[in-house]
Amino acid sequence: MIVGDLSRRELADRLAGEGLALQFGPFNLRIRSNLGSFASLAHQLYEPYPLPEPAAISDFHVDISAPRGLRRWLRRQACFGIDGQLPFAPYTIEHAFPALEWGINWCVATRAHHLLLLHSAAVERNGRAIVFPASPGDGKSTLCTALIHSGWRLLSDEFGIVRPEDGMLLPIPRLIPLKNQSIEVIRKFRPEAIIGPSFLETRKGTVAHVRPPVESIRRAQEPARPRWLVFPRWVAGAPFTLEAMPKSQAFLSVATNAFNYEVLDEIAFRLVTEMVRSCDAYSLVYSDLDDAVNALDKLSQASDG
Amino acid sequence: MLVSPLADRLIWQEWDDIYIVYQPAAAATHVFNETTVLILKCLQQGPLSMEVLRHQTEAALGVSQDELAANDFEFATTRLEELGLVEFVDDPSTAQ
Repeated sequence: MIVGDLSRRELADRLAGEGLALQFGPFNLRIRSNLGSFASLAHQLYEPYPLPEPAAISDFHVDISAPRGLRRWLRRQACFGIDGQLPFAPYTIEHAFPALEWGINWCVATRAHHLLLLHSAAVERNGRAIVFPASPGDGKSTLCTALIHSGWRLLSDEFGIVRPEDGMLLPIPRLIPLKNQSIEVIRKFRPEAIIGPSFLETRKGTVAHVRPPVESIRRAQEPARPRWLVFPRWVAGAPFTLEAMPKSQAFLSVATNAFNYEVLDEIAFRLVTEMVRSCDAYSLVYSDLDDAVNALDKLSQASDG
Repeated sequence: MLVSPLADRLIWQEWDDIYIVYQPAAAATHVFNETTVLILKCLQQGPLSMEVLRHQTEAALGVSQDELAANDFEFATTRLEELGLVEFVDDPSTAQ
């Protein structure tokens, strides 16, 4: 069963009642909300996402709701909550949807320490994955969005989730939050991309969410083997370059980009070492998405033989 | 003065003449050059005097005796001491 099997009314009732149970890759969430505007957007953007089995245990119980008491009437706000705690200052009610999306990321980054969490996007084709470790502003989400609308499968936009048992990447194909100019860039690059409304003047500027292709969501339980590490950097007007990166530098870049390298200690060292050993590493500078997508397609085709 | 190894287990990975070394006892990852790593490897059999350690390191590096700059050697051993990978102890054979 998927979210789209529920009517908008049924979804709103679940959100306001026991919570909407959703499966995002390896995690089950239960989301509660008493905001009508949130229910409407959730119905639209979460439409292809699966609902877990009724008996499944939820990893996170999250909430995006109007605050209680007098504040509710003074200012129209939305508070993100997890397990009854409110870790962030209230958001303006218009930003409830991005606030929940960021909140879910925060839950994963701060609690899922049974997995190695890299700050990276990841896409897959023919069983081999490209991992894109990057810092905010490097253009990883834009590139990732372009690739998943050009024949690659989305594993994740925000987390490279590495399973400690075998080093495989676990998909978590959540919505991709594009920021500022990237929204228009993707609208032009792939007009068919499903992009939600733009949220103006959020804490991260203007944000709009891309819904991944249904195929990526449908294959969310299918892990992939990392094959390439590509460190992207978008630079306005820069000529395209794709250069091999020394493995020692790749190791340091991956390790310092991980959310929980220190938490996992030796496990993290071994996982990152193995990933760098088995992957070709590149530094990629781009200003044009077509150049980047073509070059990565060629990389994949060369590996296919 | 003897240089004595402190870490009983280290995990090594070499790439491009750069060594990534994991120190389980401190849950720390270090990045060393070849000289620093060879100092540690020379100490695997036990403590050595500064002079012997320097000469063994030079031999391992494939350079002639006294070719390793004293400053570089001192910097590397001091850094290893700061990281808790070696310690400087008095040489009992020279005790009065």
